[in-house]
Amino acid sequence: MKQIESSLGKLKLASCVTVASGTFGLEYLKLKDADGKPLLPQESLGAYVSKTITYEAKAGNPSPRLYETECGLLNSIGLQNPGLKGFLNNDLPILKETLRIPLIVSFSGSSIDEFCEMITTMEPYDEIAGYEVNVSCPNVEKEGIAFGADPEVIYKLVSRLAVLTDKELNVKLSPNVTDIAQMALAAQEAGASSLALINTLWGMAIDWKTGKAMLSKKVGGYSGRGVKPVALALVYKVAQVAKIPILAMGGIHSWQDALEFIYAGASAVAVGTANFTAPGAPAKIAQGLHEYCKANNLYIRDLIAKVK
Amino acid sequence: MITKDSLKVLDVSSPAPQYVCLKLDAGKPLQGLLPGMFYELRAPSQKGRLFKPISILEVEESTLSFLIKVVGAGTQAFTQLKAGDRVEAIGPLGNGFPGIAGRRVLLVSGGAGYPPLAWIKRKSDVAGFCLHLHGCASADEAFPCDLLYTDDGSLGSKGLVTDSVDCLIAEHNIDLVFSCGPVPMLAKLTELCMQIEHYVSMEAYMACGIGVCHGCAIPVDKAFKLVCKDGPVFDATQIRWSEL
Ligand SMILES: Cc1cc2nc3c(=O)[nH]c(=O)nc-3n(C[C@H](O)[C@H](O)[C@H](O)COP(=O)(O)OP(=O)(O)OC[C@H]3O[C@@H](n4cnc5c(N)ncnc54)[C@H](O)[C@@H]3O)c2cc1C
Ligand SMILES: Cc1cc2nc3c(=O)[nH]c(=O)nc-3n(C[C@H](O)[C@H](O)[C@H](O)COP(=O)(O)O)c2cc1C
Ligand code: FES
Repeated sequence: MKQIESSLGKLKLASCVTVASGTFGLEYLKLKDADGKPLLPQESLGAYVSKTITYEAKAGNPSPRLYETECGLLNSIGLQNPGLKGFLNNDLPILKETLRIPLIVSFSGSSIDEFCEMITTMEPYDEIAGYEVNVSCPNVEKEGIAFGADPEVIYKLVSRLAVLTDKELNVKLSPNVTDIAQMALAAQEAGASSLALINTLWGMAIDWKTGKAMLSKKVGGYSGRGVKPVALALVYKVAQVAKIPILAMGGIHSWQDALEFIYAGASAVAVGTANFTAPGAPAKIAQGLHEYCKANNLYIRDLIAKVK
Repeated sequence: MITKDSLKVLDVSSPAPQYVCLKLDAGKPLQGLLPGMFYELRAPSQKGRLFKPISILEVEESTLSFLIKVVGAGTQAFTQLKAGDRVEAIGPLGNGFPGIAGRRVLLVSGGAGYPPLAWIKRKSDVAGFCLHLHGCASADEAFPCDLLYTDDGSLGSKGLVTDSVDCLIAEHNIDLVFSCGPVPMLAKLTELCMQIEHYVSMEAYMACGIGVCHGCAIPVDKAFKLVCKDGPVFDATQIRWSEL
């Protein structure tokens, strides 16, 4: 699949299609089609991105945590995860055994020191090919967005992390800021080797009959089809100013969607909510891109940021 | 093994207003399925939307039956199907109820919580003693069971399905309770059955159905557990009912 090869900073990607943090798990690699074959051969993915882990285990938010709207999904999971120790002891060995593609670990901390301790602890594990620094989760009070909304804080955090790792250092940005390009530049200057965008937008739904909010936390993160035009514009905006590569996500459901993001400036794409509504979607998207590129003698890497 | 498949519709019927019964052809004999297990189902008109978790009502060789209450767009779409159509299905999912061999079991269902308990009742002639109580709003929602309760008294006893649970447990020497239905009913039942082994099948809004998204978590024990993967069947005393 030479046509859809790409790279993300220090990582060579055999496919420019990856998966979005928190929307994918090994469960999807185990799903079988009607003939008992894997629905999603992992080789169709350029990388596997883990759900965000935090230093301490997190119980997550009360239920309900999900609500589907006309054209997208609201969630307030609240980063439920087993914590760094639980991840390294229980999840990482299984990921190591299963994955034949690069593993990117998404992580978040409640202080700069905590982020640093996490990356230092993970650094010796060779099976971890890179990190996605989540400074953009809208569903937790302390972690995430608090770090992602201030370019000075991003700069401080990423410059501390950059000296602690030789691996791919990706910073995942929130769309819930006034000027995402400033955040991107701060991360780049601080030593990030790639960017990921977008995390979910703030979103809400209310039952008009009862006046009750659909999520227990009332406001959550909005993803899926409806966010695509927003994500595309933000990827374009960031690509205009940033030199480091972009991993783009936000409403990607088809190979045509993926191609739009490549033209807007993405070096690779990630499939999120579409995993739920179309299990196996990343494989179909990779295959669609491959067939299109082959038929037209195109290479993804030649199309990046070539919007006219 | 969890499969995503497109299953042929063998039959669609409406056994009660607001309910649709689907029979699907799994294409091969089904083995190892337990009452309480479920499938994520989606009618073709709902492509692009989330799948809907639906409990198995019955399995006969390669035929899967479901009984679905129409509450929104996803369930409404099943009523438009006809024999020969196809339904997308992910499954089988979840843990299912424990075995009942040699036990004296009280089955308590409310509303759309009927299917898993009805399946146990139908299998019970070979396994153990089962008394099935079903509660619903009115005669419109009544399904075959041992004792029926309706809110409006239009059929069976007027009142809640939990009203005479105490007496029935004593009278029939019940040593195991299974339940499925609305949360207030399950919480009340848990209070009434504190001294007896009691398992509930829980509902939650789901996105993936296979343990990826963490969207279906409910408060169990000291943590949040996933209804789709750790459940849907839980020990009733472990659930923090006041938080639901
Ligand atoms: C493991 C499991 C097994 C189930 N088995 C059955 C079954 O056998 N038969 C059956 O009729 N239903 C069953 N349900 C419930 C069924 O999944 C929901 O009614 C369905 O998802 C509603 O989808 P909708 O698009 O029609 O309605 P929506 O538009 O999604 O919702 C309509 C209303 O129902 C509420 N709702 C939506 N989903 C759920 C849910 N999962 N639990 C509680 N309330 C919800 C919404 O908040 C809203 O008020 C089961 C649920 C679970 C989790
Ligand atoms: C249920 C759910 C859980 C998510 N969990 C995380 C997470 O743990 N870390 C993270 O960085 N992003 C998380 N996201 C955001 C996605 O990775 C992605 O950035 C966003 O959903 C936009 O892409 P999409 O529209 O394709 O879903 C989550 C999204 C959803 C829907
Ligand atoms: S529905 Fe996604 S984890 Fe249960």
